[in-house]
Amino acid sequence: MERTVIRGVMVASLLWLSGCGSSDLSQPANETVIGGEVVVDLDGKSIKYSLLEQGVPGVDENTTVYGYKAYKIPYTTTDEEGNEVAVSGLMVIPTGVPDVVKQLGFSVVSDSHGTIFANKEAPTQIALDTSSPDGAPVILTSLTAFVTLQADYIGFGDSFGHYHPFVLKRSLANATVDFIEAARKFAADNNIPLNGQLFLTGYSEGGYAAMAALEKIEAEGSMQVTLAAPMAGPYALDAMAQGVLFSDTLGVPSFMADVAYAYANAYNRPLTELINEPYASKLPTLFDGLYTREEIDPELTTVTSGEDGLFTSAVVENYFNDPEYWFKEAMLDNDTYQWAPQTPVRLIHCQGDDVIPYAISELTEGTMQAMDAADVALVPVEATLAAYGMGDGSLLGHAECAAPAYGLTAQIFSGIREATIGY
Amino acid sequence: MKRTLLLTTLLGSAAVAGAYKLPEQSLNSMALGAAYVAHTTEADTAYFNPANMAFMGDKQYFDGALTLIHLPSTTYTLIEPYSGESEEENIVTPTMHYVSNPIGNWRWGVSMTVPGGLTKRWDTAYQKLYAEEFTLKNVELNPVFSYKVNEKFAVGGGIRVVYSEGVVKSDGGDIAPLKRHMEGDTLEFGYNLAMTYRPTDDINIAVTYRSNIDLKEEGEANIWFGDVGKQYSADVTVPLPAALNIAISKTWDETFTLEFNYERTYWSSYKYLDFNYGEPLANDLLVEKFDDPIDKHWKDTNTFRIGATMVLNKITFMMGFALDETPVPDKTIGFELPDSDAKIFSMGFRYQQTEALSWGAAFLWDSKESRSLTPGVAENEVLSYGGSFDGGGAYLTTVGISYAF
Repeated sequence: MERTVIRGVMVASLLWLSGCGSSDLSQPANETVIGGEVVVDLDGKSIKYSLLEQGVPGVDENTTVYGYKAYKIPYTTTDEEGNEVAVSGLMVIPTGVPDVVKQLGFSVVSDSHGTIFANKEAPTQIALDTSSPDGAPVILTSLTAFVTLQADYIGFGDSFGHYHPFVLKRSLANATVDFIEAARKFAADNNIPLNGQLFLTGYSEGGYAAMAALEKIEAEGSMQVTLAAPMAGPYALDAMAQGVLFSDTLGVPSFMADVAYAYANAYNRPLTELINEPYASKLPTLFDGLYTREEIDPELTTVTSGEDGLFTSAVVENYFNDPEYWFKEAMLDNDTYQWAPQTPVRLIHCQGDDVIPYAISELTEGTMQAMDAADVALVPVEATLAAYGMGDGSLLGHAECAAPAYGLTAQIFSGIREATIGY
Repeated sequence: MKRTLLLTTLLGSAAVAGAYKLPEQSLNSMALGAAYVAHTTEADTAYFNPANMAFMGDKQYFDGALTLIHLPSTTYTLIEPYSGESEEENIVTPTMHYVSNPIGNWRWGVSMTVPGGLTKRWDTAYQKLYAEEFTLKNVELNPVFSYKVNEKFAVGGGIRVVYSEGVVKSDGGDIAPLKRHMEGDTLEFGYNLAMTYRPTDDINIAVTYRSNIDLKEEGEANIWFGDVGKQYSADVTVPLPAALNIAISKTWDETFTLEFNYERTYWSSYKYLDFNYGEPLANDLLVEKFDDPIDKHWKDTNTFRIGATMVLNKITFMMGFALDETPVPDKTIGFELPDSDAKIFSMGFRYQQTEALSWGAAFLWDSKESRSLTPGVAENEVLSYGGSFDGGGAYLTTVGISYAF
């Protein structure tokens, strides 16, 4: 109190001396937009410098690098239970592009992100926290001038607190497709020129989400997709589940634990039907969006099933012996490979994938072709890059494959854009 | 939090002694180059040596002054594009002092001064990243007392109340996509002590001490990465260092006075320039440039002063000279304060208009030495390449009035 009084006297004395008013330091005057907020805005020169510092392959002084401007866009979607949910997504546009690109308009890539557990890993949250470019949009936007869309998915961003519907195709497709529509409206409201061309992609869970989104789009006929290139997705969930449950150990227990947690929630079943204690009691906390995979895995066991395992013995027994077992039916219900896309599809996958077997994409390709898909082809990443003189064809695991897979996908999209749009 | 923006032209001050301390706080002290501790005569005695108030006449004293500080630009020379030149600055600072009538052996007084400050602005690419603007404004309210032990010895002391504002702006411009604008203020307290011994009527021996005050500037910082900015609560602490003065004066025929003054300034309390934020900065580049503590490790300094006063009927002439060390080591020198050793020359006069009223003017030149940096020594990324600082220094012009009644 005494300090306050003295401060008041001092300040009053100073004001008397200076005859000047006072004000607080106002908030930074960031650009305002309609229906969202700018969360990252970095020029191409700075990004190029950063890429050169990191020694990113294929980037040198002569590489054209565009600026990266990201918006967080709120929108609504529908969850597995049919409820409307307020969610968010990240839209990244290239800046500093030639006038001809603006005149012809931007092509859009919907890039569904891979598996995350913590909210701080969500696209909009990373952008808010770091004000920095991150992940695939650097390749898709700054290096190849696409507008990139990344839905946070239900459970992250603005819907933090809702359980994340991990590999549940309806809500993942809803979140993806609804964001494309929301982003198109945002672009129209803010004079961002789009040319209508749309590509779908995504890695791992994102590959699965991209395939689910394509299935929804074709079913509804709501928009035109030029090409879908899902990457390393678990399209055949039943086959994946059989492989996992047949194994004695789990490579990454958090993945399967999250499947069980999400499906128990979505299908309104007790989690203890699937997961042994003490893990069943831990999962609501571990999957509350505050923990990363690196923090979750040590809290779980790598033993697949049995008394000391993650899954109950009943799950394994029922999955292989009861064709009407609800969990098996749910897996089959959420498969995304048993249909015939009429949109061209390129299944991008590394043959060395140690998490989502390459065979899943082979199965998907074969099944879709057998069902009279229009144009589905499997693209093995290592061999394709080696054919272009990039890499020696060595097999790449799931994590190592992501960056080259995105690079390859960006090249495929760019080639089509050049042939169709003209740049 | 209350945030007060004050006109720089009135309350800013600048580095005119070593680093950002400003010893000259009145007409007499300006004219004598702050060799004004043992032999003080006006109301500014309250500030420079409150013990001396005990020996002043049986009346009240008032002293006011305005000082125009002109800071020429500092030039940093290296190969392009690293070279740069700071902005010139013109700043006006007011000071006021009052000494009361004696109350028995006691007496009180009060000063309002600008005891330190700094304004450095660069508009050249590499310098802007570190100090687009670095401003520290201080104003001190210093109530003091004296006690006359006997006719030869008196002691004094007071409370230092310092209000301070800081502004820091950094702009990576074309170098890096970073920008910072911080404003903060604080109210801090300290003390000062003084004693005077007069072995004879014409000799004064004085010792004064002003305590260290850590100025913790608290406020907000707007920090941009690219074109997206966020606001953080923020604080940064810089010391207003303790200073010990030992002075002796001798007066001949009540006409000519010579004063020698030694000042030890305890700048070693300034170890780091460490900005703290209410939450972690957004990314590693921002942390590296704006959050990691910057080493300072300044050293204590010595300043030697001599002042001469000649009283001729109604006019008093004064002049001074000082050798002033910089506390800033080569290793931690930065663009916000490219300080160097200095020689200080000063002169002035006071005219006795009436028995009660006098006025005068003074001029002081703070001549900074050029400073060459050996490559590989400085921690600053640019200054580690070497280069040299030239120019800088300061020209101070003071007009003042005194009234005794």
